[in-house]
Amino acid sequence: MLIAFSGLFSLLIAAPLLAGWSHIAGSAGKALRLSAACSTVLALASGTVLAISAWVYGTPVNFDLSFFSPLPDLRFLFSLDRLSGFFLFIVCAVSIPAVVYSFRYIEHHYEPARAAWYWVLLPLFLLSMAMVVSSATVFAFFAGWELMTVLSAGLIFLEGDAEERRRDIFLYLLTMHAGAALVVSAFLLFAPHAPSLTFAAIRAAAQTMPGAEKAAIFLLAFFGFGTKAGIIPLHVWLPRAHPIAPTPVSALMSGIMLKTAVYVFLRFVFDFLSGGPDWGGYLVLAAGATSAVLGILYAMLETDLKRLLAYSSVENIGIIYLAIGAAMLCRANGAPAFAALALTAALVHSLNHAIFKNLLFLGAGAIAYRTHSLKLNQLGGLLKTMPMTGLFVLVGCVSIAGLPLFNGFIGEWLAFQGFLAGGQVSQTLPQLLLPLMAGVLALTGALAAACFANTFGTAFLGRPRQAETDSPENPPFSMLLPLGVLAGACLVIGVMPMLVLRPLWEVTVMLAPGGDFAGIAAIATGIQKVAVVVLAGAAAVWLVRAVVRLAPTWGCGMAQLTARMQYTATSFSKPIRIVFSPVYRADRKLDTTPADSPYFPKTISYRSTRTLSYERLLYRPVVDAIMATAQQLRRLQTGNIQWYLLYIFLALVFMLVLMRFR
Amino acid sequence: MGLRLAQFAFLVLSAPLVQGIIARLKAKLQRRRGASIWRPYADLGKLFRKEDLAPASASWLFRAAPRMGFALMLAAAAFVPVVASTGVLAFNADYFLLVYLLAFARFQMVLGAFDSGSSFGGMGGSREAMVSVLAEAPLVLSLMALALTAKAGSLGAIVAWTGAQSFFNISVVHVLALTALLFVAIAEAGRMPVDNPATHLELTMLHEAMVLEYSGPSLAFVEWAQAIKLNLLIALLVALFAPWGMATSLTVGTVALSLALYLAKLAVAMVAIAVLESSVAKLRMYAVPEFFGIATALSILAIVFTVIMRRQP
Repeated sequence: MLIAFSGLFSLLIAAPLLAGWSHIAGSAGKALRLSAACSTVLALASGTVLAISAWVYGTPVNFDLSFFSPLPDLRFLFSLDRLSGFFLFIVCAVSIPAVVYSFRYIEHHYEPARAAWYWVLLPLFLLSMAMVVSSATVFAFFAGWELMTVLSAGLIFLEGDAEERRRDIFLYLLTMHAGAALVVSAFLLFAPHAPSLTFAAIRAAAQTMPGAEKAAIFLLAFFGFGTKAGIIPLHVWLPRAHPIAPTPVSALMSGIMLKTAVYVFLRFVFDFLSGGPDWGGYLVLAAGATSAVLGILYAMLETDLKRLLAYSSVENIGIIYLAIGAAMLCRANGAPAFAALALTAALVHSLNHAIFKNLLFLGAGAIAYRTHSLKLNQLGGLLKTMPMTGLFVLVGCVSIAGLPLFNGFIGEWLAFQGFLAGGQVSQTLPQLLLPLMAGVLALTGALAAACFANTFGTAFLGRPRQAETDSPENPPFSMLLPLGVLAGACLVIGVMPMLVLRPLWEVTVMLAPGGDFAGIAAIATGIQKVAVVVLAGAAAVWLVRAVVRLAPTWGCGMAQLTARMQYTATSFSKPIRIVFSPVYRADRKLDTTPADSPYFPKTISYRSTRTLSYERLLYRPVVDAIMATAQQLRRLQTGNIQWYLLYIFLALVFMLVLMRFR
Repeated sequence: MGLRLAQFAFLVLSAPLVQGIIARLKAKLQRRRGASIWRPYADLGKLFRKEDLAPASASWLFRAAPRMGFALMLAAAAFVPVVASTGVLAFNADYFLLVYLLAFARFQMVLGAFDSGSSFGGMGGSREAMVSVLAEAPLVLSLMALALTAKAGSLGAIVAWTGAQSFFNISVVHVLALTALLFVAIAEAGRMPVDNPATHLELTMLHEAMVLEYSGPSLAFVEWAQAIKLNLLIALLVALFAPWGMATSLTVGTVALSLALYLAKLAVAMVAIAVLESSVAKLRMYAVPEFFGIATALSILAIVFTVIMRRQP
């Protein structure tokens, strides 16, 4: 086991070295880059084996890598229990397809120097995520947590460093560090009670801490990890930073990096704080409901494929938080069986979202490979020219919409069952709130179905709109295979959910004991019966003889329909945007010249931008306050050396006085 | 099992007849003679014999969509109790699966509409998507309210619980949930006042615009699936709110009695639909959200009342 763990570490560190060699070797380094990719895949495979064996082993496995540590006191300790093992599995297994995919993708898009940099940064980024989910000391955790932010920002920079991108990356780093500050504070609050800052000591200390401090820790953790997970309204960085990364990195950031925040939040709430404060569930539930509904409504508005997918990540994190919130409420109100159900829902959806979000992002990359465009309204009819990509992306769209026979449904069904706890809990408020959350989840599901029917329909169906940008070259096999593997995983988990539910149940039992597996197991037999009926029905229907003749589309008597007459993604979402217009608060601007003849204008221009009212309400005062304080503080910075000497002297006096009268 | 299979077959095979009877009743109410009640079968037969026209720009998905939609509708029908209190398929929390099977079928049809490459398909699909987005929350909330009242985990258990109650003991939750579900069922089945199944103007169509390009066997599957959907929604409402008289044993007498009772309830539902459709006008497109606003409010109230009822001793 230790060998596998060291293997994971050393291989992931070896890959950047190899890629670095390719830097030195110059343009001839393709073989070195390939070996860097292979070593990364090998490392991830060993990580997967490690995660599975940690689950089989059951009791936590510890690894002491303190010889990496700069100081003897700051220990580099790792531990894999089943929760860590599960998330290590997500980090390692689900990212293999993205890594395989990125080799040809990067060779196609980047010149050798940048490609070498990519292979330097990517393995380290993966390593940092593996560190976050397996660390057992605060020091090791923070090393991973900060590296994860910085390395992903570095990977985003590889795609280009134009002015606008720099602003987005700056915003990303800024929010991440604000979040990290909260997380540090959360950990430091344990320090007075714990002899050392290992997770085991923290866990023991939390048992004896006063409630108020635990509540403060919970709040800090909620906002700190919420920033990383991208819950609304802390999500502002997410739709800016995720889409501008290289596509495989977007996939890893959206599909996997967000899950590391879910992992630490679960670790804090269920492991350290043993369920969190009684009111904590309401907060998480509210955050989940807001993120789920608003996330998918904003996704609906986007016509850039990668931005749309980024907003849909906000939605899916919302669904995961809804389930976590339900689990916390059930646990606090005496319904442990339902707490276990809801927690399983959160875990299953974490895995499922990692799979289909990777699939969809990589699919978007495949579309861009051929059409050089990610604008939905400039695409169309791709299913005919890219049949395999189309099929795999279709599977991804069906899965993310939460439709049955695919994996997205499993998590949502379990969450719905968790909300039935309304009939079991003891307090009135959760009795009311939990069933209402089923309505929220249903609305989210319906919106997601509409959104992804729109996405797939616009890009892959109908007539092609991309005549001028289309290249006849389809993505190579090594890019299609990862898509196929991920799509296969969606289908297999969707039809045989026991494959993941049974292992996950062990994780649930660890965090929320007192559940009953039978309630969960019902889905497996049920969904298989449905699969049989649907397949039998489809087979019978397929036998019906039909003579197919191709004919022109009905155009109301017009001779020639063109691709521009089709409904676009924007026109498709219009009714929903009108219904939910109070949420969007669009700023519209219509200019016609000459202004006095509105019906026969010479030129007409229309612009509409979504203004996020709460972004203005919430962030503007904060930014203004920071700027104002900075202005005031500038007075201290005179640039005159005598003043600085005075500051030092005053500080010294202050410290002496403080020490004297302490 | 035999009885459950029989009721599944009944739902699937009688669906066109229900459509035919409703059309005939509407004709009578409007002082027309109307076509035979068997005409939907003749229509289906004719469509199955015709050739399948596909737009030249369409992909394989265009023809797969109505067939998959039909298969999914079959699976949905398998959950619905008619004469016996459980469907062919039944398990814990199966009503959520039923809701999502209907959603999946609709997803297929929206994709098929996109593939026709005309603006009508997209228009119909877009409107259908709006209606389904608004209908989903009241549908799930009403089912949830019923499940919480009955303290039952599956559709069959809810139906059995309601059947064991006296009609006069029925709670306000049922009244609220029934009203909300009626609203949803009207919209899901594409009936007046949300959609007009008999319209001939593309600009006013919802479902019909979505399937405008289909012909021959593909259209037959679309029409049949739509008929099954109406039939299963009626059966679902009857089972949830008026299950009294369902067969509890497998003797010929009880089965015959429960079938006769079901047919009587079905007749009431058909007359109600015919009267409703002859007396109201189709809602303006953007008045539909208000229609669903009422349904959502009612379903939320139903949930609120489940809590209030529990607090009484």
